[in-house]
Amino acid sequence: MSVVSNGLPTAQEIVGPTPGQRLRRRLFGHRGIVVGGSILGVIILMALLAPLIAPYDPYDQILTARIKPPVWYPHGTWEHILGTDQVGRDYLSRLIYGSQISLLIGFFAAALSGLIGTAMGIAAGYFGGRVDLVVTFLITCRLSLPVILVSLAVVAVIGGSLEVVILVLGLLLWDRYAVVMRAATLQVRSLDFVAAAQTVGCSTWHILVSEILPNVMNQLIVVATLEFAHAVLLEAALSFLGLGVQPPLPSWGLMIAEGRNYILFDPWLIAIPGVALFTLLLAVNLLGDGARDVTAPENRG
Amino acid sequence: MLVYTAKRIVLAILVALTISMLVFSLLYLSGDPATALAGESATSADIEKIRHAYGFDRPVWVQYLSWLANAAQGEFGNSLYFRLPVWDLILERLPTTMTLGVSAMSFAIVLAIPLGVLAAMFPNSLIDRAALFMAVVGQAMPSFWFALMLIVLFAFTWPVLPASGSDTWRHFVLPTIVLGYYATPAFMRLTRTGMLDVLSSDYIRTARAKGLRPWTVLFKHALRNAIIPVVSLAAVQFGFMLGGSVIIETVFALHGAGFLAWESISRSDFPTVQAILLLFSLLYIVLTFVADLLNAWLDPRIRVG
Amino acid sequence: MDSIRNRRGGWMGLALLAAVSAASATTLAATSAFAGKADDTLNIAWEREQPTLDYYFQNSREGIIINRHIWDCLLWLDPKSGEFKGLLAKSYKIVDDKTFEFEIREGVKFHDGSTLTADDVVGTIEFLTKPDTGKTQNQPAAWIDHAEKTGPNTVRIFAKETTPLALLYLSADIPIYPMAYYDKVGPEGMGVKPIGTGPYKVTSVEPGKRIVFEKNADYFKDSPKGQPKIGKIVQRTIPDVNTQIVELASGNLDWIFKVPADQAEKLETLPNLVVKPASTMRIGYLTFDAAGRSGENPFQKLEVRQAVAHAIDRQAIADNIVRGGSIVVNSACYPEQFGCTQDVTKYDYDPKKAKELLAKAGYPDGFKTDIYAYRNREYLEPMIGYLSAIGIRTDLHFGKYAATRDAIRSSKVPFAFMTWGSGSVPDVDAITTVFFGGGPDDTSQDADVQKWLAEGASTMNEATRKAAYAKALGKIADMAYWVPLFTYPTNYAMSKSLNWTPTADEIPRFFTASWQ
Repeated sequence: MSVVSNGLPTAQEIVGPTPGQRLRRRLFGHRGIVVGGSILGVIILMALLAPLIAPYDPYDQILTARIKPPVWYPHGTWEHILGTDQVGRDYLSRLIYGSQISLLIGFFAAALSGLIGTAMGIAAGYFGGRVDLVVTFLITCRLSLPVILVSLAVVAVIGGSLEVVILVLGLLLWDRYAVVMRAATLQVRSLDFVAAAQTVGCSTWHILVSEILPNVMNQLIVVATLEFAHAVLLEAALSFLGLGVQPPLPSWGLMIAEGRNYILFDPWLIAIPGVALFTLLLAVNLLGDGARDVTAPENRG
Repeated sequence: MLVYTAKRIVLAILVALTISMLVFSLLYLSGDPATALAGESATSADIEKIRHAYGFDRPVWVQYLSWLANAAQGEFGNSLYFRLPVWDLILERLPTTMTLGVSAMSFAIVLAIPLGVLAAMFPNSLIDRAALFMAVVGQAMPSFWFALMLIVLFAFTWPVLPASGSDTWRHFVLPTIVLGYYATPAFMRLTRTGMLDVLSSDYIRTARAKGLRPWTVLFKHALRNAIIPVVSLAAVQFGFMLGGSVIIETVFALHGAGFLAWESISRSDFPTVQAILLLFSLLYIVLTFVADLLNAWLDPRIRVG
Repeated sequence: MDSIRNRRGGWMGLALLAAVSAASATTLAATSAFAGKADDTLNIAWEREQPTLDYYFQNSREGIIINRHIWDCLLWLDPKSGEFKGLLAKSYKIVDDKTFEFEIREGVKFHDGSTLTADDVVGTIEFLTKPDTGKTQNQPAAWIDHAEKTGPNTVRIFAKETTPLALLYLSADIPIYPMAYYDKVGPEGMGVKPIGTGPYKVTSVEPGKRIVFEKNADYFKDSPKGQPKIGKIVQRTIPDVNTQIVELASGNLDWIFKVPADQAEKLETLPNLVVKPASTMRIGYLTFDAAGRSGENPFQKLEVRQAVAHAIDRQAIADNIVRGGSIVVNSACYPEQFGCTQDVTKYDYDPKKAKELLAKAGYPDGFKTDIYAYRNREYLEPMIGYLSAIGIRTDLHFGKYAATRDAIRSSKVPFAFMTWGSGSVPDVDAITTVFFGGGPDDTSQDADVQKWLAEGASTMNEATRKAAYAKALGKIADMAYWVPLFTYPTNYAMSKSLNWTPTADEIPRFFTASWQ
């Protein structure tokens, strides 16, 4: 912020920081967001640059180089910094490529369920009446189904793969979106600018997309981060039970499942992908919590 | 209160019926159930025999109604794998799952509520940050990974607890910790938020101004009000736990209903899968119904909604 | 108020922490190591939930083990001399190529106190030859035409045709049931409360979870099986091999089997345990729906099957992953079985050739296929990797044994990784005929092969049998109906206080075991 040389304050200083600047300050001042965001940023970068930074092909199996320990163990070498897995694939490379899978699943599953849930929630909140009744009923039904068991049953029948997992999770995880969006829409729809738009004669679609949606976006983002984490966790669990992503895909959950037999004597095989998963989920949760804190009541309007 | 209860009952029944339809249709996901059942080297004559014996040749809605009617009496047919009545198999294994669920819930509550209260009493202090951190960690750790780690630590490196089975209370310690830890963050946050809200309310300020001792303030007034949302969360979480017990039961070889469900899914033992899915869903519906009633009784404002 | 917070905050936190620690501290009580010997109880565990204890209505290795402990057969194969001795039969006589006569031992009691008679033998055989009983074990008695009681203690069994394996089956897979009891309770009753004449009786069953066996103190003294020494055997089902190992290491279990090679090596280093390797008759193989029963699929083409055979480095897998002395097999049988010859077309590891063959068959860019399997994912995954490298992308359906076998039989499966232990029968008829003889498991349906296999089973003449089997195995290899993979050595891990030796047939006999 510059000060005019004659000592008088600038217009900027009189008015105070713009909403954009205020938001930025809040964002970067919040430790959770900074930490979470940086970690997530690193992981995304890792996923995007995977072909460049991974030392080996993650699918290259060298059966004579099985279960080599990471470099900090007595027999570890710098050739395989994080060691190799049970068929001789370099663990560091698999870890790096695995980030792609986790991010893909988290993003698309959260997006799909977000689409479904948001549409239902906003519709219920805006139109009320019978629409609300139906949506609430559907939400209650969905909540009564044990998600893991249903996913297992469905995948067992139609076969597991990346696409199937995303589809199944996307079609099951919309409940929180619907609940939160409904509540948020209820709060927003009674505000002046919505009434104004209605009076002017805007189409319902216009109102929903241009007036309501932007104002519930904050809460949508919070839920999205939570469901992202939820989807990643569930995929890991499904892969652990053998009904998720298929080998030889380097999904972190599948790596834990494959390394499960070696946990007693070669624990790094499941410790490393476990830490990776944990880090990703931690980052996403911190971001979500931060988003919730930052977009607390004072930021409405 | 009566009107509220009636409305809730109707809703519960409708949901239960919808779920039962969904669960029933699972059988048809894989195509013709008669062929799936006939299995080995079945000729078309064999398949027709099976189709007739199991009643798959009736119209679908008739099959559904008869399944439903039988289910209401606890008659789910025989398991395709064990050739024993499904209901008996489930009843045998349900106590293990219930024990696990109840102890995990208790663990979560016993751990979460004091932490939540403390965090609310000393906001932004070390305790508050530690509690919040613990909450985030709990939500970020895959339960199966946590389970395996605990087994390695406490059953292998320091063999103080058994790694499998469900014979004594000690067999339930590790599974309880893993399953319960996952639910702790939600409870803790809820308690903390609730306490924070209540502690800063006028009601409490008045009580303090009147000179009541801080402990009285805390327990008699604040906590009572903050508990209300925890009750309904407990019901919801218990329902989730039933579904999530699959992983824990598999890793710890606890022969409960969740494990049976998973095994039956991989064995295509449809009658068993349907029965367990229906049972878990119904349990959840009943629990939330009871929780709703409890909430409405504790906080009259809810009944109007 | 602030002063109160500051003062009490720290103490409160400490108090809470102490309370939680105290609660967890009460769980620290050491388990007693190796309670097994101390209370004469052998604690064993295996992976699979046993669906029923009625031998004829299930089809698992564990069922075979249970069979040998609860029941006896008419004959018994002496592992040292290779001769058949009388078990429930005092003596036996081969009347002619299709007739066998047995003198039933007197004074043998079933676990419920009733006496074994010739009627039980005849009754058991009658039950086995009855069609439509829904039983799963069809092969062992399929050769029997009928049985007759020819005297107060003698029974004659008549074969439909000349059956070279008749005595083998009678010594292993046809346990004698108490027919009065069986008629009364049926398979459901026998499945949870089995009664037999064997060295151990079952005192409690939690279906799929736990079986408790107790020594049969009245086991007949003349039995060549020997007398049981260990008082009680408790079997638990533990689906995860790690958990089994942890329990073994901490003394809650005394014996486990099927320990993967990697873990077996590490277990050796633990002080209280000993690991005993043994060979088994099990081989792993890849099977194709060559006959096209599951619909049109790439594996109907010979070149595709041969491509798969060339794509996988079986030696590398055997040496590095299976280990324990595993060897590559090239024909559809276990090398030591009678009639098995390895002198057949061999497919060496040549991924380039594999790609060429695929292109020749019309799949230059490979294809996607389902693959089914039920065990040893750690052997399958490198194979999937090899296939991926030549362009065959797989969608893995990993399920339970029964479901996988049923899927294959009902023609749903184009490609599968299976294993077969031949029921530990040392004859090609127990494996090759099962999968190529025209039965429900025959996925290639080759008339020539079926003819030669039938030839091999129709005579007692060894030379004729060998020649016929050689022809069949030759064509199977030429047509690559299977990709035979490698043998399955196995590892047993147990407490040092247990005195027990494994046999090469993968059937642990705990009635020969004792404490050190």
